[in-house]
Amino acid sequence: MPDTKKEREARNMLSITNSKVFDTIKILISICIAFIITFVILCLISEDPVNALVTILTGPFRKTRYLGSIIESFIAYAFAGLAAGILFKSGAFNLGAEGIFIISGVSVAAVACNPITTNPFLHSALCILAGALTGGILMIIPSFLKAKFGTNEMVVSLMLNSIYSGISMFIIRNYLLTTTTNTVGSKDYLETAKIGYLYEPLRISACLILLIVCTVVLYIIMYKTKLGYQIRLAGSNPKFSEYSGINSFKLALITSAIAGVLAGMGAACQLLTQTSFYQPDKSLTGIGFSGMLLSMLGRNNPIGIVISAFLIKYLEQGTQVLYFVDRAVPSEIVAIVEGIVILLISSQYFLRGFREKKLLQEGLKKDA
Amino acid sequence: MLKTIFESLFTMKFLLSIVRLSTPILLASIAAFISSSTGIVNIAIESIMTFSALAGILGSYITQNAYLGCLIGMLVGILTALLIAFFSMKMGADAIFVGIALNTFADSLAIFFLYQIAGEKGTSASLMTPVLPAVEIPGISSIPILGQIVSGQYLLTYLCWIILIVLYILVYKTPLGMRMRACGLNADAAKTAGINVQRLQVLSLILSGFFASLGGMYLSLNYLKIFSKGMVAGQGWMGIAANGIANGNYGALLISSLIFAAFRAVSIVFNTSTIFPTDLVGTIPYFAVFVFVTAASIINYYRIKHGKVEEQ
Repeated sequence: MPDTKKEREARNMLSITNSKVFDTIKILISICIAFIITFVILCLISEDPVNALVTILTGPFRKTRYLGSIIESFIAYAFAGLAAGILFKSGAFNLGAEGIFIISGVSVAAVACNPITTNPFLHSALCILAGALTGGILMIIPSFLKAKFGTNEMVVSLMLNSIYSGISMFIIRNYLLTTTTNTVGSKDYLETAKIGYLYEPLRISACLILLIVCTVVLYIIMYKTKLGYQIRLAGSNPKFSEYSGINSFKLALITSAIAGVLAGMGAACQLLTQTSFYQPDKSLTGIGFSGMLLSMLGRNNPIGIVISAFLIKYLEQGTQVLYFVDRAVPSEIVAIVEGIVILLISSQYFLRGFREKKLLQEGLKKDA
Repeated sequence: MLKTIFESLFTMKFLLSIVRLSTPILLASIAAFISSSTGIVNIAIESIMTFSALAGILGSYITQNAYLGCLIGMLVGILTALLIAFFSMKMGADAIFVGIALNTFADSLAIFFLYQIAGEKGTSASLMTPVLPAVEIPGISSIPILGQIVSGQYLLTYLCWIILIVLYILVYKTPLGMRMRACGLNADAAKTAGINVQRLQVLSLILSGFFASLGGMYLSLNYLKIFSKGMVAGQGWMGIAANGIANGNYGALLISSLIFAAFRAVSIVFNTSTIFPTDLVGTIPYFAVFVFVTAASIINYYRIKHGKVEEQ
């Protein structure tokens, strides 16, 4: 158990439904239900539903290229999930990761297109730093307004998403526009900025290492430090944390800055490994929103989020493999699996009756 | 150049475009208003609008009857609202998280169904869909200015206006409305007074889903006449923002919705000229919402600080 002793005691006292075993069973049953429903849908739309389901589940293993593409593409989503996770855990409904990804991309592209240094490592690192700084600073805005004035941060952060994407298009169009193609995109990144592979067949790059480091650091911060304890306390009981002397204003700013930094790094990783130039309306769209779903799937736990990001990308790759064979099944079917699992695992009462019956039986056995 | 743009802001056409753009935002704002009046936070309005916009178009295509399509769209909107009610009340999930989840995969889900029927992932343009008509009211249409505004609007705009009046009477003038507001003000006190709080909350969610579905279908079956990906474009959130600014005041709710619609109209007018950068002009409505919501909360903050209103 990674929690402190005090917290464990408090949890045992407050709620009995919070056992890890029960959670795991609940997640597995949710996944099974989601796949049963998916199978029913496949029966309706596909001529060979059994093969379709098997392809979704095993397709990515058919070629190393498929696995490599999962490993490469899940990194940015995992970063988005981590960003959303720390915000949700602190009780903040800041939905701004989408806009932060897009505007951080502009900073990344600006650094990547300019010959700042000839050292490839330094150049890539500066790109990631630029993204992280932009994200960290801009993510604070909605949280600051919420903490200071009580502004509705959901509305504000969503409006900022649209504003940021407009501003990103404006900057790219006016200052960094490519001269080679007709699309609204930046110039090509310099070769020194791009992040190469450490192990080519599986497309493992330094970004994966960065993700692992960030996940571990975030996990330690959340579960082993005072700051993490304060964040979790503020999320689970804001009034209590306020009365126990935690500066909620400062905490909100720190949390959102960390989330912004994570989102900015995610944007940099995605751009420098997957693209050769930046298109604000294409390259990074949807990642920030997916991150929120991943955070719910991973129950706001950093390691859980990274695992669910990998699994969701795995499923998406599976449906893409299926799409080559069976045009009737679009890759959006993953959204259905994802949606059902999220709704079921965030339901506190789901399977609760079953668990209470079990607890009662055990209690009776002990008495006898 | 600049002069002609500002002149076009004071024309009949501009006023009419505000009326046309205000319908979905007004419907979204009353959807947010009715659910928050019983203390339920329905943030899934954007996704209900998306689902209903699609269901309306697909229903209308399949039945080849726009009114039946409209009915199907309403049902889908109400069912989505009931889904939120089921998960938040019976299953103990956080209504806000259910809403965030619905909003986030609304587009994917809509595209999934669109692809099944139209075979395309972007728009429903390839489907021959009957749409709802615009209505000319004989007699009124000959009156200058007022006639142009009141007559010749789309069917769902008239429905929206009727709903605005009926809703006001329902919420402020009937016992049912009083009970609903009591739930929102203090659910425990309402329960003690013998009110079935949960039933009223479900009712308000159903109404919320119904209003939002009309807003979505106004976009697809009336205004644009097709379904296209991302067509709701934050209008559901503008409704939520208007409700947040109004803070339970019906007049302020309608006025802020109209202001947001006006900023959408301004952004469209500015977009027709080349002197403003189109990317930035497109963000005007969102920027307006951002400024208004922030300003309202700052004003509220200082009023609480100086003891003019009590903190809720």
